[in-house]
Amino acid sequence: MKKKWKVFSAAVAVSCIALIAGCSGDKEVSGGGGKESVSVVLKTLSSPYWKYVEAGAKAAGKELGVDVNVVGPNAESEVMQQINMIEDQLSQSPGALVVSPSQPDTVVPALEAANVPVLLIDTDADVKNKITFIGTENYEAGQEGGKLLASMLQKGDKVALISGALGNTATDERIKGAKEALKEAGMEIVAEQPADSDKTKAISVMENILQKHSDIKGVFSANDDMALGVLRAVEAKGLDVKVIGTDGTKEAVESILAGKLAGTIAQSPYDMGYEGVKNALEAIKGKKVEKRINSGVDIITKENAKEKLEFLESISK
Amino acid sequence: MSQVVIQTENEVTKKNRPLKKLLSKFGPLIGLVLLSSVLTLLSDKFLTVNNIMNIARQSTINALLAIGMLLPILTAGIDLSVGSVLAISVMFMGIVSVNLGMSPIVGILVCLLMGAGFGWLNGILLTKLRLPHPFISTLGTMNIARGIALIVTAAAPIAGFPYMIQFLGREFVGPIPVSFLLVIVVYVIFHIFLTRTQTGRYIYAIGGNPEAARLSGINVDRVLIIVYTISGLMAGLAGLVMVGRVNSAFPLAGLSYELDAIAAVIIGGASFLGGVGTVWGTLIGALIIAVLRNGLNLLNVSADFQMTVIGAVIIAAVYVDVLRQRKSKKS
Repeated sequence: MKKKWKVFSAAVAVSCIALIAGCSGDKEVSGGGGKESVSVVLKTLSSPYWKYVEAGAKAAGKELGVDVNVVGPNAESEVMQQINMIEDQLSQSPGALVVSPSQPDTVVPALEAANVPVLLIDTDADVKNKITFIGTENYEAGQEGGKLLASMLQKGDKVALISGALGNTATDERIKGAKEALKEAGMEIVAEQPADSDKTKAISVMENILQKHSDIKGVFSANDDMALGVLRAVEAKGLDVKVIGTDGTKEAVESILAGKLAGTIAQSPYDMGYEGVKNALEAIKGKKVEKRINSGVDIITKENAKEKLEFLESISK
Repeated sequence: MSQVVIQTENEVTKKNRPLKKLLSKFGPLIGLVLLSSVLTLLSDKFLTVNNIMNIARQSTINALLAIGMLLPILTAGIDLSVGSVLAISVMFMGIVSVNLGMSPIVGILVCLLMGAGFGWLNGILLTKLRLPHPFISTLGTMNIARGIALIVTAAAPIAGFPYMIQFLGREFVGPIPVSFLLVIVVYVIFHIFLTRTQTGRYIYAIGGNPEAARLSGINVDRVLIIVYTISGLMAGLAGLVMVGRVNSAFPLAGLSYELDAIAAVIIGGASFLGGVGTVWGTLIGALIIAVLRNGLNLLNVSADFQMTVIGAVIIAAVYVDVLRQRKSKKS
């Protein structure tokens, strides 16, 4: 009696899995005969930013007639699961592989063993056989941020820079670019401090800066979270300081729309996904692809914040 | 309540009729075969040499953690720290052999000793400090080890390990990953240890009934310290394999791996109440998880869905365990 139950329950469990797998498998794999296929392995699919990348990749697949398969672990911290996903995608022999590595070093052995074109997006890694890296040109993003801030201020105004964690190359480049643009426009940089890309930390860093320089007129922050933190510190003191962020998160765009944040330099995750698939197709066809592709930035201020918000909402559906 | 019987594998099999014996012994294996058959039908990429070798390689880290985890579970305990211990072991190996440029042999020793050392600490906390349950002591060391792993390099990863360290996780013999051969060797050793040595039999006895074991003259504390030390050692070894696979060590390595290891042991037929469980069952458990993940990846099932399926499999497997318990109480 009992053993029958056991066999029965095991059978039910297995057939449930089969059913579930069968069903959800069908809708993803369209059986287009002779169609090219591109596999996209992201850091995760569980945050808005990566949903934008996914949306871009899928839109490219639809427009260009490519089978696009986007996968990613449950969290950016699931590094080994991402490696497993890369291996499992490769064993299905896609035409090309587009990857955004969670930990740049970890993907190197798996990707160098790949026998199809490999493209990296968002985060670069030292992979010998990569076709290209598509991502934000951080120095340029910083320059645009600096110019935007300068355009809102008078010559000789005092400004501060809030950087990311020490050694974070992405945020460091943004600060460098902003610094150059601000100096060129004749601004006086009175402070430059790291707040580790963290909102809470940025509040206290900004409070300390304001203790010393209460006449600051503008702040450039290397990411949006810190910019929002800076804003909190400024508002608490009742000061009028222009704050510019970088990234283009939904929260930042909403803040711009509400007239709080002065602007942000938005990265283009949607374009990274789109360009990733588009250039993967070029590589499959044997065409030449640029070694480094700039996915570009969008300058968001109150004038265009509403459109940006609508765009973000439309692609995150 | 009825007296708990100290069940070693032999006694269980003696009691049961052939078919029952077959089912309880090969239940997980039957599950694995069924699962593989279904996946073969659903994906033409599943039953290929390339993919089977992928599964073999993808299962190794969890298989090594799981065989370590089997020992605490056999004593009705648990080791939550293995994922974090893996991380701290590889970080120190990286510091020694990459940052300080010392010999890879020293690096490997540091990795294994760091693992065994934390395991030993778990054993000491349990037996000497008399913390009420290993859940608590290993929860503590889990956080301590992870914290230190993050602190030592200010959360920065370490890459570029010497070839000797990468060998286990990276190389192949023909099409077979060296790491999987390592798993086979380790499992054979564990099988001999658990079934042919006195300490091995004591481990089952302690899980079956610790009081009876104590009264019969077994040095329970000593056995428990050995159990947790081995579990930690296996975490270090799993770390060594991981570093070979990805050529880098990072502080978030092995995050929540303890849960997959526990799942493998339980799916493999071990009982949380202690005293029941086999080495080969654990291997099957680890393979079931690897096959599930790989198969669902091949079918392009999203990661969120995979979690749900694996959760359901764990519950189903433990339910089978419950049925088994109920049956053995009646007889």
